[in-house]
Amino acid sequence: MTLELRDVCHVYAAGTPLAVEALRGVSLAVEAGEVLGIVGGTGSGKSTLVQHMNWILRPTSGEVLVDGVDAATLNKSELRRRIGLVFQFPESALFAPTVEEDVGFGPQRMKLGEDAVRERVRGSLAMLGVEHLAQRSPFALSGGEKRRVAIAGVLAMEPEVLILDEPTAGLDPATRQDLLSLVRTLSESGVSIVLVSHDLEEVAEVADRICAMEQGCIQALGTPQEVFYKNPANAPATVRVATVLQNSSIGRPVRYADTLAALRTLMEN
Amino acid sequence: MASRSLGQFYPVASLLHGLDPRAKILCVTIFAVGLFLIDTIAGFLLMTLVVGALVATSRIPLAVFLRLLRPVVFIVALTVFFQVLFSREGATLLEWGFIEIHAGGLRLGFLLALRILLLVSVAGLLTATTAPVALTDGIEDLLSSLKKLRFPAHEFAMMMTIALRFIPTLDEEARKIMAAQSARGADFREGGLIRRSRALIPLLVPLTVGAFRRADELAEAMESRGYQGGTGRTRYRELRFHFRDALALAIVMVVLALGILA
Repeated sequence: MTLELRDVCHVYAAGTPLAVEALRGVSLAVEAGEVLGIVGGTGSGKSTLVQHMNWILRPTSGEVLVDGVDAATLNKSELRRRIGLVFQFPESALFAPTVEEDVGFGPQRMKLGEDAVRERVRGSLAMLGVEHLAQRSPFALSGGEKRRVAIAGVLAMEPEVLILDEPTAGLDPATRQDLLSLVRTLSESGVSIVLVSHDLEEVAEVADRICAMEQGCIQALGTPQEVFYKNPANAPATVRVATVLQNSSIGRPVRYADTLAALRTLMEN
Repeated sequence: MASRSLGQFYPVASLLHGLDPRAKILCVTIFAVGLFLIDTIAGFLLMTLVVGALVATSRIPLAVFLRLLRPVVFIVALTVFFQVLFSREGATLLEWGFIEIHAGGLRLGFLLALRILLLVSVAGLLTATTAPVALTDGIEDLLSSLKKLRFPAHEFAMMMTIALRFIPTLDEEARKIMAAQSARGADFREGGLIRRSRALIPLLVPLTVGAFRRADELAEAMESRGYQGGTGRTRYRELRFHFRDALALAIVMVVLALGILA
């Protein structure tokens, strides 16, 4: 599935003295099966941008195209099933008595049969490594467990595009790594991923392309190499180190592992 | 942002905004009691004029002020309807089947409508011209004489302040949770009453859980900053009763006396 935003603008509280222009003409396409990283400072419009992708927010002007069709004309619940959105701190929306019921909420709303719902719940809990929590209350879990369960709740709808808004914020390194490998696994199985993050290192790890936002505009869009080496001061540590070593044969790595390999060959020569 | 509703503070500079909150609370209380002592049409017309003049001095645009009154229109209409329909006083004006409309009923209905509208108007003026914090400070100060009777005036005022402070926060939280549940296929707008109230569960449960969490966090934050109740606490803004505040009280009393005698 391809998802395209064309010249999208969004103004909060339009027509009042409190109006805020959050997006100023953003054009962006999410290609089928890619991992698109969205980076940018707080208030740069990242979250506003991704909420347009499944029509939670409507563009003040501009359009959202899903496989070339204007999203305004599509069935919204079908659209939201195909394009899953995990909000920031999604654990604050957990509500059911058990993890199983909470994760089953989405599939149930899709009017699947009881067995199909159970199957989906089991599958998505397993993908997040929390199938043993199925009968627990979501309120009795640890922060990391809650986050995993909340993400499973969206994954259970088997979206074709999965948008994750700061999924690793406030998590321990182990859970963080698990989530990043989940992103890789999903993208290998053909799901497009949009990953919003403050953490440049983690975006560098998994993203095929990066979109850098600034004050509601796209400041840079391209491969991690293109975007990060264009502005090394605002890039992962790897990029900064590599820029310092530019005159050597280290190349243009963005991932930690690539840097290590490059440095190793450098040292062997 | 949040829609303006009954009792929301409207921040402009005016004579009414500048009055001491205690004076305003007392004025409104006296006025409210006075309204029940007036029972002539002339008296009520005078009061309507006075309230109109007050609205003008408050510098709140008339359209905004009328919007404050909108929620009570239904209640007023209902009371007037019953008053007119079931009152059997005075000359009969209309008889149609079991429906009888009497002059006395019309008069009572009219007075009742004005009474409710004027009450809501002055109360609305109070909250529209007084910042919530100033209002609670005023209430605390007025109730503090009851402290001797062990009435927890400070705690009462603090509870009010916190409740008011958290309305916009909870509103924002509710919007976030609604968006998150919509992304999972929840629909808050479709279906009949039962389906709609069932659809609220995924909103209300996390909202309540969040409110308790916030309350806990706030309590801890207050305690860690040394809060231990009202005793010995000083204020950033000291309330001062000026000459103009006394004057306002005097004017209200004189006007009411005129209204009652009219």
